[in-house]
Amino acid sequence: MSKKTSAANKSPLLRRAEPYLWIAPSIILMTIFIIIPIFTVFRMAFSEVSKTGRIRGFAGFANFLNVMDNPEFSKVLSNTVVWTILVVVLSTVLGFILALLLNNKFKGRKIARAIVVFPWATTLVIQASAWKFIINKDYGALNALLKTMGLIQTNIDWTPTPEAFFAWEIACGIFVTIPFVCFTVLSGLQSIDDSYYEAATVDGAGYFQKLFNITLPLVKNSLTVATVLNIIYVFNSFPIVWTMTKGDPAYQTDTLVTYLYKLAFYNGKQGEAAAVSVIGFTILLICASVYMVSTLKKGDE
Amino acid sequence: MKKIIAMLLVLVMALGLVACGGGSDEKVELKVIAAQYGGKTAEWWVGFEKDFEAANGNIDLVVDVVSWNDIYTVVNTRISNNDAPDILNIDVFADYQADGLLLPAEDYVSDETYAKFYPAFLDQSVVDGTVWAIPDLASARALYYNADILAAAGVEVPTTWAELKDVCEAIKAYDANIYPWGVDMTTDEGQACFAYYAWTNGGGFVDASGNWTLNSAENVEAANYILGLVADGLTNTNPATETRYDLQEMFAAGKLAMMIGPNQISSYVASTENPINFGIASIPANEGKSTSSVGVMDRFMVFDNEHSDAEMEAITKFFDFFYEDKRYSDWVIMEDFLPATSAGGQIMAEADPAAAAWIEIVGSAQFYPAAKAEWADVKQGVINVLQQGLLGQDVQGLLDALQADIAG
Repeated sequence: MSKKTSAANKSPLLRRAEPYLWIAPSIILMTIFIIIPIFTVFRMAFSEVSKTGRIRGFAGFANFLNVMDNPEFSKVLSNTVVWTILVVVLSTVLGFILALLLNNKFKGRKIARAIVVFPWATTLVIQASAWKFIINKDYGALNALLKTMGLIQTNIDWTPTPEAFFAWEIACGIFVTIPFVCFTVLSGLQSIDDSYYEAATVDGAGYFQKLFNITLPLVKNSLTVATVLNIIYVFNSFPIVWTMTKGDPAYQTDTLVTYLYKLAFYNGKQGEAAAVSVIGFTILLICASVYMVSTLKKGDE
Repeated sequence: MKKIIAMLLVLVMALGLVACGGGSDEKVELKVIAAQYGGKTAEWWVGFEKDFEAANGNIDLVVDVVSWNDIYTVVNTRISNNDAPDILNIDVFADYQADGLLLPAEDYVSDETYAKFYPAFLDQSVVDGTVWAIPDLASARALYYNADILAAAGVEVPTTWAELKDVCEAIKAYDANIYPWGVDMTTDEGQACFAYYAWTNGGGFVDASGNWTLNSAENVEAANYILGLVADGLTNTNPATETRYDLQEMFAAGKLAMMIGPNQISSYVASTENPINFGIASIPANEGKSTSSVGVMDRFMVFDNEHSDAEMEAITKFFDFFYEDKRYSDWVIMEDFLPATSAGGQIMAEADPAAAAWIEIVGSAQFYPAAKAEWADVKQGVINVLQQGLLGQDVQGLLDALQADIAG
């Protein structure tokens, strides 16, 4: 049956209904898994919720005020900002450089690309557990390696302060995020026609001129998408911090997500946890929209 | 062709939805959520279900075994979806009771079964003079020490705080690569650390009439004592992130000389490749104060699902069957815990002399005030105090603030 006759055979009603029929499953799924949960969280955030999760009544902004009153909240918020900015910026820069390297033609390129995927293909909990094991003072791989190489005599405590622990968590976050950036950029790089570079070379452009005037503008769209997705993923990342420190000691390494988990399931304050969730959602919504609007606008000019 | 496939898919989905709604018969159905204590728990419950249904033809028992990581989320989700289990096996009960979701134990436990429990255990589930849950098993804590390390360092097992510090210093002098004393102040179980020292100093969470006494002089002294041991370098390096499972591993590997831990450490050490030579003793107390163990107890509770008489009868039968002496003690031994019934204790003590000592310890143990509504906040609060203490904050001020926050 050719395409033309198949279209001609359809009744007008079916033809009009068809698009909706096709998008119906995704709309149903989005409603069940995205819209209803968002609605529920907002409802809980503005309700008085019992410890078993029963909604007792409208609470106005009480949950939000309680959360803001907690002395640790400002620390958790600043941790979240530091965590998101450092992980996103550094993994984007490093992932971009790695993508440029992997875009060159060299022997074993396919294997090198496969190796880069590994950290991404591994579950985050496993990754974080591995990192926790590596930096452990008593039986960690890092100390064992340095000892075997004769560089140190006694075990070094790699995490003497909460800040040090948080720095390792950020390092782990960067490590697992690089592959994502790298592959998004790589796909953008591969779609650039070689003739641009050839023309630029003929005109006498150097490496950095080509990088900033050809490569960057042409991968910008994929980089924008990657960065927005990245901000959301990293901001909401739970397993790394949870596996390595659970936010200990004394909320010094908590981010909003691990903090709200503790509020909900350790302290039984589900209303406050929902409030933290709404705060995070709002921050993300603002950041992502500002970023999208500003970069897309620049693209139009 | 594609259209036909799409229609088929839609049809299958629709049928699937319909199928979820149907199905019923005249049997009485009992929905149970059970905590997964170990690798054999699920298997044991499958056997239990089969035996129970064979003995009670009219009852359809449905047991969901859920891991500790998920159980609170699972239970809360089911409560909010009006699908609460009939019977729940978990550690906490006060929040469910406070929401009016539970039935009093006397409504569903037969007199015969009720008489089996240690009265001190039942007391832990009393709110407003009513017992709301029944104990399923317990565990207790004691001092574990590596006998070889203590002998090599030329010291005896410590019984007081002063002796403990001397012993730690002697062990450190003997081998700087061994941690003398294990401390867990993590979010997992830091409240146990607080209890170990507060209770062996005559302090604690509440006074005799149940009022919060978090900032008592005894508690401040206790917290400062253990924080002092950490500051002096006599403990593991990162008490805020090293859980008791990490400590247990270091202890079994001979890298940690002493720690306070539950009875399961014995079988854990025995299961390692080169078991160390260890001993068990009472937790050291401050001079002039008496030692105390920390007891942990889990529970069964029944949700008020507007049961029919037949369903209530089925629930009573369930507990009679579960607490039948032989079956119950087999279960407790299999899970490597301590029994909550005196008959279970006797059977276990006869089977294993080492268990007898533990059953005595658990009989004298103190429990967390888990029946009080503020307990979750207190628990996280004292953990936070200890962790702030590790960062150099003043314990007295922190405990004062916590007391003011909790007791108002």
